[in-house]
Amino acid sequence: MKISLSWLHTYLKTTQSPQELAETLTRSGIEVKSIISTGSNLSNVVAAQILSSDPHPNADRLSVCIVDDGSAHQRQIVCGAKNYHVGDKVLLALPGALLPGGIKIKIGKLRGVESEGMMCSSQELGLGSGASGLHILPAETILGTEVQELFPSDTILELEVTPNRPDWLGHIGVAREAAAFGAGELTRIFHTDSAAACEHLMDTASASNCSSGSMKHTAVVAIHHLPCHHQDSRRLATNQYEICGLIEKPHISPLLSHQDSSAPRVMDAHACPFYSVRFFDLIQVNQVSSLLSRRLESIGVRSINNIVDIANYVMMETGQPLHAFDAKKIQGILTVRFARQGESLEALDGVTYHLRSSDLIIADEKGPQALAGILGGMASGVRESTESILLESAVFNPTVIRASACFHGIRTDASYRFERGSHAALASEALERATSLIKECSQNVVVHEVAVIGSLPAATLLPLRYDRVRSLLGFSLKDEEISSLLTKIGCTPCEHGWRIPSWRLDLTREVDLIEEIIRLYGIERISPRYFSIPSESSLADRRYDGMMLLRRRLMASGFCEVRTSALVAPEVSALQTIRLRNPMGEEQSVLRTSLLPGLKAVIEHNLCQGAKGLRIFEVGKVFVKCVENTSAQEESLSLALIMTGEAESSSWRGGVRRSLDLYDLKGALDALLPGKMTYHPSVRPLPEPMAIAMDLFCDDHYCGYIGCLSPEEARKFMLSGQDDVLIVAQVELTPLLQALDHGAWKKEGPLPIFPSMTRDLAVVVAKSISYHALEQALLAQQEPSLKNILLIDIFTDPTGEKISAQHKSLTLQLTFQDEHRTLTTQEVNMICERMIVVLKESFDLAIRS
Amino acid sequence: MQALIEQQEKESLAAISSASNDSVLREVRLLYLGKSGLISRMSEQMRAIAKEERPIVGKLLNHWRSSFTQVLEAKEKIFRDQADALLFESLDPTLPGTTRCQGSLHPLTLLIDRVVAIYRRLGFAMAEGPDIDSPWYCFDALNTPADHPARNEQDTFYLPDGRLLRTHTSTVQIRAMEQALPPLRIIVPGSAYRRDEVDATHLSQFTQMEVLCVGEGITLGDLKGTAEFFFRELLGVNTECRFRPHFFPFTEPSFEIDIRSSHLSKKWLELAGCGMVDPAVFEAVNQKRGDHAYDPEKISGFAFGFGLDRLVMMLTGIDDIRMLSENDLRFLKRFTGEY
Repeated sequence: MKISLSWLHTYLKTTQSPQELAETLTRSGIEVKSIISTGSNLSNVVAAQILSSDPHPNADRLSVCIVDDGSAHQRQIVCGAKNYHVGDKVLLALPGALLPGGIKIKIGKLRGVESEGMMCSSQELGLGSGASGLHILPAETILGTEVQELFPSDTILELEVTPNRPDWLGHIGVAREAAAFGAGELTRIFHTDSAAACEHLMDTASASNCSSGSMKHTAVVAIHHLPCHHQDSRRLATNQYEICGLIEKPHISPLLSHQDSSAPRVMDAHACPFYSVRFFDLIQVNQVSSLLSRRLESIGVRSINNIVDIANYVMMETGQPLHAFDAKKIQGILTVRFARQGESLEALDGVTYHLRSSDLIIADEKGPQALAGILGGMASGVRESTESILLESAVFNPTVIRASACFHGIRTDASYRFERGSHAALASEALERATSLIKECSQNVVVHEVAVIGSLPAATLLPLRYDRVRSLLGFSLKDEEISSLLTKIGCTPCEHGWRIPSWRLDLTREVDLIEEIIRLYGIERISPRYFSIPSESSLADRRYDGMMLLRRRLMASGFCEVRTSALVAPEVSALQTIRLRNPMGEEQSVLRTSLLPGLKAVIEHNLCQGAKGLRIFEVGKVFVKCVENTSAQEESLSLALIMTGEAESSSWRGGVRRSLDLYDLKGALDALLPGKMTYHPSVRPLPEPMAIAMDLFCDDHYCGYIGCLSPEEARKFMLSGQDDVLIVAQVELTPLLQALDHGAWKKEGPLPIFPSMTRDLAVVVAKSISYHALEQALLAQQEPSLKNILLIDIFTDPTGEKISAQHKSLTLQLTFQDEHRTLTTQEVNMICERMIVVLKESFDLAIRS
Repeated sequence: MQALIEQQEKESLAAISSASNDSVLREVRLLYLGKSGLISRMSEQMRAIAKEERPIVGKLLNHWRSSFTQVLEAKEKIFRDQADALLFESLDPTLPGTTRCQGSLHPLTLLIDRVVAIYRRLGFAMAEGPDIDSPWYCFDALNTPADHPARNEQDTFYLPDGRLLRTHTSTVQIRAMEQALPPLRIIVPGSAYRRDEVDATHLSQFTQMEVLCVGEGITLGDLKGTAEFFFRELLGVNTECRFRPHFFPFTEPSFEIDIRSSHLSKKWLELAGCGMVDPAVFEAVNQKRGDHAYDPEKISGFAFGFGLDRLVMMLTGIDDIRMLSENDLRFLKRFTGEY
């Protein structure tokens, strides 16, 4: 929403600079996105008249004009534009002028013909986008007038308006807010008879409605602006803010006998609680530049013709959208109704909309003429040939308008405002305002009476407890001070509380008034308060702390944490995936069931960036569609790890360079929860194709798997061509977090006081024998003094010289210790002998010394 | 005997001085001081000599032992010093240090942890809720009108069953109040989702932090104190906070918080939204609970929410939010320490 400051000054007397005013508005809650200076402060650009125009002798597209710039001297100008007639007045940049973009005007030759200046378009002068071609000035412009007089410079504020404040969507509303926040005083806001008329309108309409129960039927209620004799009118008159009251002398036209010709019908009072329309005859439509059109252009609204401009001007002034129909094109009675199946409308934007039965339209006998509150129809649009118009000012249900605008993908200045809400009082007044503007510009116009359907809603009355205000806001302001704040925004005290001005649709509850009070008082004047009451740590706290601990341990093991999106491309997966109904694209259409696909993409990205060794992990939510009668959780926390490439980066120490392998990842998992992780050959279906895999257990609870991705599968997505093995692990976090919870401060008794003794045992077995089998065979003997088994060497000899090529030698370091005494060498030797005997019984095994 | 001892002593000291290296010296030590070394053997012969001579011989032997030991140890120290010097002589202290491969935590994790630590200092506990939630928790209970634009299919991700991906972490306000009695002070870091086209400033999945404080007598002053304390802790004591009136359906009054900190930039930065919990939110909670635990006449509270992604961008000086989801390790490796 753009605001012109020169326009705003029509309603607001202020000495604040644009920056200060922006600051004031920001304080009131209107965010100022930008402050733009416009208009012209150019010198040496003047109004000039084209006296003659001849073709250029050397160029088809150019012409040579003689112009009068108001001085005695006539100038010859070469011009490329075509949109002028001899006699038009235009803007002429004289030699010496410096135009926006650094263009300097000087006398020069264009294709051999001298040119003493340049006739300009509005764009070339920085006066707005406008139509292409020369900017044609009104005929009454005095020659020689400087452009800065014709187009005084202005400042445009671009505002961000929150959806609860439709009253800020017009200059008057912004002026009102600025005044309430101390920027200055409102001007030209005075009470008019239209307020009284509205008041009268409210009473009659509500009386007739109450009796009929509903407005759904075709009751035609034409109300005329008659002097009001309402008993409350004096009080109203003292409240100059009640209606934004722009109209100096409202036109009270005589009663018309043929009022029925323009009386509309409203088929659904819920969708359109208020509808008014006025017939104007003998109207002159033209396209003359005026203060109105210039102001509209300055805030980015394209000037169309005087009538449409007036409708738009009043909208930008008051916030109330109006719509003008070409009355000749309307047959029969205007009806506000929902569209019928199969109806369509060619709208003013040239698009034909196929209407649904939930689209509210304005129709005549022939069919739809406008999409209510959104966009007018092409056929009944106002153009230069138009002789009479019907000017509509209405209140539409925001929900209905929003649904239609959203469905058809249209967003107009009108729909933007109707979606946020409007009020019958404002609608009536905006129509009066437009009427007086039309009369100003169209002298012979015959103004007919307003036909109105609907009622003016009763003013909102809100109770307010001053103690409540103080306790919620935490200040000790007196009742009178609170009251004086509320009167600043046009609220008036009444018997049971406060009477809310009609334009504040958002004030409906006590707490809304409390918000107004703090807004006006200023939160900067509230003293900060600190409380300190302990909170018990929650389950979420323990889970969070557990996750941070695991993250830090992984970081210590050299892993980098990544975060990938929960929205992924669908994958062929055994698990049930949850699909979005309205994804942004196929690539982000399902919720991930596993973190691994995301991590694989990260690996690929980083390999492409030249990474040599990678260790990454992610902790995040995964999502599985719950099948009935299972205890499976829809959302669960998961941990995934991938490593690949070089184990260590190059170093001057040299040493053996090797690639990361399965054992590195096992080690990282062991370090995650020392002593808790166990591995068993995989017996479960795996979501990823694996070359080798182990099931993972934490404290004997299954919690995932670890393994090497099938190289064939890896090559499918690893476009970088790197073919190191990808070692992956997928871990459910809940068992790990539980193990962490239980694992803390576990009692292990005092440290042993008697020394331990170690023996290295080198066994030669067939390669097919797993380490796990050997270890189990040793542990199965339940030797109480055997405290630890450490594998310290693996040896194979492909040549078969030292040991057979089908065998391997494993060196196990066994640690023995007794809690109650020092073991003797003999004892330990005997234990070892015994163990070897048992091993030999289980395996075909030799001992190497 | 006495002459022999004196003779031996001379020889033994000569042996020390002629020892050219550490291993020869060790042999010398063994020869004289070992268990069956010369000095020990001579001591054993004491039994064979006359009683009256024993003190004299004993004295000589002791002298020998102590002077030998003294000279030997001095010589040993020379060799040790030489060896030590040699060890460090060959060392170039300017060679680069060697280290194990360093990991890192995601900047969002580090920021969340920092924020959590600050709120815990104020007595807040953590809470969590599902990413997939119902429109009731995401909108209705938070006083969002049935036709509010945020509910559009253009703005919010929906599942075929009508549920949605939460558009803010404020859903957890409702869930927490549903489950626990006041007073309640919670923080909720978590993901939220909006149907935004991904570009330099938008992700369709982003990270938010929700803060809720509810109890008897909570005022706007508490909100202000908490917010100011938080930002000063996070960004330094010179951080300024500005509260700008704003509109959110679930708070009344509502504010946006602008921050100015030498840590970030000289401009005001819009960082958070906040406000006093709207009575309609309490009523929705009561309705769901079936009691009046959150009677808006007795209970008040404030809520406070902000996007962590934007804050990370400002703190790290990156201008493209996608760097947070791209996971380039050259970027992530910058975050090896604590924030």
